[in-house]
Amino acid sequence: MIENKRAGFEELAHTADLEIRVWGKDMVSLFRQAAAGMIHLSDVEGLMEGISSVQQDISLEAMDFEGLLILFLEELLYRLTEDYMVYEILKLSITSDYTLKAKLKGAQIKSYQRDIKAVTYHNLNIRTTADGYEVNIVFDI
Amino acid sequence: MVSINDLKRINSYEWEIPQSYRADMRVPVRIFASEELLKGVTRDKSLEQAVNACALPGLVGSVMVMPDMHQGYGFPIGGVAATKYPQGVISPGGIGYDINCGVRLLGSRLSYQETKPYLDELATALNQFCPSGVGKSGHLRLSTKEVEDVCREGSRWAKKKGYASDQDLRRTEEGGRIQGADPRYLSPRALNRGTNQVGSLGAGNHFIEIDLVAEIYDHQAAQVMGLRAGDLALQIHCGSRGLGHQVCSDYVKSLQQVVHRYGIELPDRSLVCAPLDSPEGEAYLSAMVCAANYAFANRQVLSYYAREAFESVLAGKVSDWHLYQIYDVAHNIGKIETHQIGGKSIQVCVHRKGATRAFGPGADDLPSEYKKIGQPVLVPGSMGTSSWVLRGTKEAMKRSLGSCCHGAGRVMSRTQAKKTIWGEDLRKQLERDGINIRAGSMAGLAEEAPAAYKDVDLVVDTVIGAGIAAKVARLKPLVVIKG
Repeated sequence: MIENKRAGFEELAHTADLEIRVWGKDMVSLFRQAAAGMIHLSDVEGLMEGISSVQQDISLEAMDFEGLLILFLEELLYRLTEDYMVYEILKLSITSDYTLKAKLKGAQIKSYQRDIKAVTYHNLNIRTTADGYEVNIVFDI
Repeated sequence: MVSINDLKRINSYEWEIPQSYRADMRVPVRIFASEELLKGVTRDKSLEQAVNACALPGLVGSVMVMPDMHQGYGFPIGGVAATKYPQGVISPGGIGYDINCGVRLLGSRLSYQETKPYLDELATALNQFCPSGVGKSGHLRLSTKEVEDVCREGSRWAKKKGYASDQDLRRTEEGGRIQGADPRYLSPRALNRGTNQVGSLGAGNHFIEIDLVAEIYDHQAAQVMGLRAGDLALQIHCGSRGLGHQVCSDYVKSLQQVVHRYGIELPDRSLVCAPLDSPEGEAYLSAMVCAANYAFANRQVLSYYAREAFESVLAGKVSDWHLYQIYDVAHNIGKIETHQIGGKSIQVCVHRKGATRAFGPGADDLPSEYKKIGQPVLVPGSMGTSSWVLRGTKEAMKRSLGSCCHGAGRVMSRTQAKKTIWGEDLRKQLERDGINIRAGSMAGLAEEAPAAYKDVDLVVDTVIGAGIAAKVARLKPLVVIKG
């Protein structure tokens, strides 16, 4: 688990699903930590370095930051579950009109141990804190 | 947080949160629970989520929660809510991501005594024939055009391909095919995810189980279903896989903007909805039906594989190894049904999220053999504990929109379960209890430990006490296959 004072994530107890609390000094670090948190929960195994390392650009648009966060995580989740790919986020920019641009470097994995069905909107609310931003995300599994 | 003091006691098994509890409630909450179970549910947010669901426009009657309720997202698991058709709304979050997750029960003429020596081989064969596990594909590779056929035709597609009998279809909710599926409402991603998962179990709480029919409570109904004490039965629990998850994700996302357009205010964004008669509501309903049909076909193909597994082990060793369909029923679904509400016959959209349809005797959708006894209601317990076969009652039609509980219901979080239970220890314990376990992941096994769930017997006692179901038989697990 990646964790320090400025940016990180932690798993919280939820009766049936999975919940993480994510924090970051700005929107970009919050989104990066959320992605890291989701991949951590998926319990990825066997990164096959050098076999299929591809670079890809993605561009997403939403109505608000919460919607943008869901789009971003769903994008990575789809690629994980359908293509068995995990991505290093080389570059990430998020603008105030809720658009996201990312440069990703993907690598093939052997398997993942946990099937996340979806990233939910349940009580999804990006909050401002003294150190930046934080958000709780519930994943349906 | 809703506390026990906020609840009005109706009788020993029913409680109400009055509409006056919060200003945005359009109907009250009706809770089916014994006092003992109620103490457990006030510890998580399930009742608060039920109160949130009461804000949906067009609700009729009350939002109901079954005794196996637990915290979900948006709606609680175990929630039942009906909205007026077509003016009311449909909410994807009131149905869930695993659209038409459900249970199928197959019976046999195999006595435990004669089959006992082959149980280990059967476990191995089921594990080999029925693809399971995290992210695992099935044996079939379909084109997106064929996936569209599966979505339109459900179990009928399976029958056309040789995976089903007439009896299989007749003894499935809606004959295994709900009308109104239009694959044009599915995203390319949803269709793509459907190409390799027909006939696959998946992971999580999904399972295939060989059970012993341990006890019969209603001899007449058991005879009609073909259940005999001492024989084996097989349960399959799974849903619409990635295609269904994608449908729900797509529409929860697109409806975020739509609610504002229709002036709908909601306490939680995962409750987003659209009027059933709006273009957006019609699109989701149709896409949801596609996923539901996909799930019926998925369980049908898995049944075919299970039959092959039984044949491969038992042919030539016993006289009859056939597995015949008892029933297949959904527990995450939205259905357009007609119910008597407030003395009037009204068409409604019943959202069942972690709740099983439980139609009483005489209901239209039941095959002739079940018209007299009521619909078989399948309530699997947690891993290693009993499962129950119940039947729907006339009382269920009056009191719970023909709905009942769907399982035991979790009480312990997955993080806590993993901390306190070791998968390997659990497997040894279950094996000492005479249960043969085949699991894809030991950590996954720990998360599904019986201690993480309520006592299914208490849940069943509650629905029986409330009169919304009647006991037919109790099943005891012998072999459990988990993804």
